[in-house]
Amino acid sequence: MTGWWVRTSRRFACLVLAGMTGVVGHAQTRVSPGDETALRRLLPDAHHFALVEDDTRHFRAYAAPEAGRPLRVVGLAFFTTDLTPRIYAYKGRITTLVALDTGGRVLGVDVVHHYEPFGYFSIDLPGFPRQFAGKSVLEPFDVGRDIDAVSRATITVEAATRAIRQGARRLAREFAAAQALP
Amino acid sequence: MTHTFRLHRGFSHGLLAIFFWLWTSVGVVSAMTQPDEGESPPPLSLDDLAALDALLEEDAQGTAPILDESAMLDLAALGVVLVFAVFSFLRKDDRLKVISLVLSVVYLGFVKASLVSVVDVFGAIRWSLPALRDGQAYYLLILFTLVSTVVWGRLYCGRICAFGALTQLMDRVVPARFRIEPPRWLDRRLVYAKYVVLVAAVLYFLVTDDTLVYRYIEPFWMFTLNGNVVMWTLLAILLLATVFVRNLYCRYLCSVGAGLGLLSNLTMFRIKRWNECQTCKLCEKVCEWGAIDGPNISVSECVRCDDCERLYADEDKCPHWLIQKRVATSPTGR
Repeated sequence: MTGWWVRTSRRFACLVLAGMTGVVGHAQTRVSPGDETALRRLLPDAHHFALVEDDTRHFRAYAAPEAGRPLRVVGLAFFTTDLTPRIYAYKGRITTLVALDTGGRVLGVDVVHHYEPFGYFSIDLPGFPRQFAGKSVLEPFDVGRDIDAVSRATITVEAATRAIRQGARRLAREFAAAQALP
Repeated sequence: MTHTFRLHRGFSHGLLAIFFWLWTSVGVVSAMTQPDEGESPPPLSLDDLAALDALLEEDAQGTAPILDESAMLDLAALGVVLVFAVFSFLRKDDRLKVISLVLSVVYLGFVKASLVSVVDVFGAIRWSLPALRDGQAYYLLILFTLVSTVVWGRLYCGRICAFGALTQLMDRVVPARFRIEPPRWLDRRLVYAKYVVLVAAVLYFLVTDDTLVYRYIEPFWMFTLNGNVVMWTLLAILLLATVFVRNLYCRYLCSVGAGLGLLSNLTMFRIKRWNECQTCKLCEKVCEWGAIDGPNISVSECVRCDDCERLYADEDKCPHWLIQKRVATSPTGR
């Protein structure tokens, strides 16, 4: 007769293994190390991340798995270049990683990459991404109103803000819709 | 699940695994329907979702007008600067030109920091340009620059560019005794340096995708007042050198000027010259851009500053008129 501990751990291993194959089957791909590092910065408490490759390509951050309980999403994140690829700033797209909580609030923003000539005194400064943290997707995200305008870098700041706003709203909506599914 | 266990131990594990696999395959979505732990924020309410849908609609349709108040103001202000520049150009009036230069330095320079840059060449190469929504005034400036260059030549360099305007105004203030004219043979070689700068910058951009190189080959960032020690040092050296060699940057180093110089070969309305210009050297000496070489005006160097055209029109200075007068008043007649 196998002991309770052996049985439980075997069952748990079974669950995890099955769960992992299921996760792979569900168009969730592994997160690249580079993305993982970027995600960690914004969602430090997450246990692990998964990439969801659908119309709204995004990442999901999960809490540590608990036996017998479904995985719990603790955060969402997306690259603006995935969700709003047509927003061009002064020189092309601005790659920004945006993290949301499951209630549609911005947890953090990280400007990852851009070609903006005037970025170094606008969106590159830590003050720019910091303004978004804690904002709900229902807030205006409007340069000059709740986001600071940077004179002489208008195009850059406008486009970066617009991409964050539209992407965050879209993802929050998609996630809410997915949650409402039976 | 408990009755699965009752069937068979080993089998039940397999079933459980299949069940779990199916569950995750259907979607981690179902995980969300599970009651959340205490830490999770409340999900968006139905009212929130309705509001969010309205906002998304707004985002998608761009209900916000493309031309809002501030954009209109920007366009109007830029329009005034451009119209005044063209007006001063068509009137060939020196005082109007000074006002036009001051307008450019103050508004396009220190207020807007809106100058055509080599970065715009990079953007055009990659065809990655700003959204019209964010840059109406920017597009007006680019359009004006291209059109005016094809119509009249490098008018942008001579009047609109804030840095060019700044060095021209500097030239009016700095005493002439400091001035060093580069010898003709050197000048004629140095003008090609700007094309080298342009080609090198474009090649560098194509290889590295780094636009920030503009900071070290252009002084235009100075109007943003945001630079590092190296940038400010280079700028100080450049301005100091400009005290001695006037319009140094525009004539020899500006990659935008090089690009517009190439475009200016298409110029439709060029400066007309008298027959007497074949031999007269008056304008050649006056031209602060070194654009006149004997009977020819090098269209790619000329920024349409009007200095020579004012001379052509001056009946007391230009040999064309002086000869005519002498012929008219000469006792022998003709």
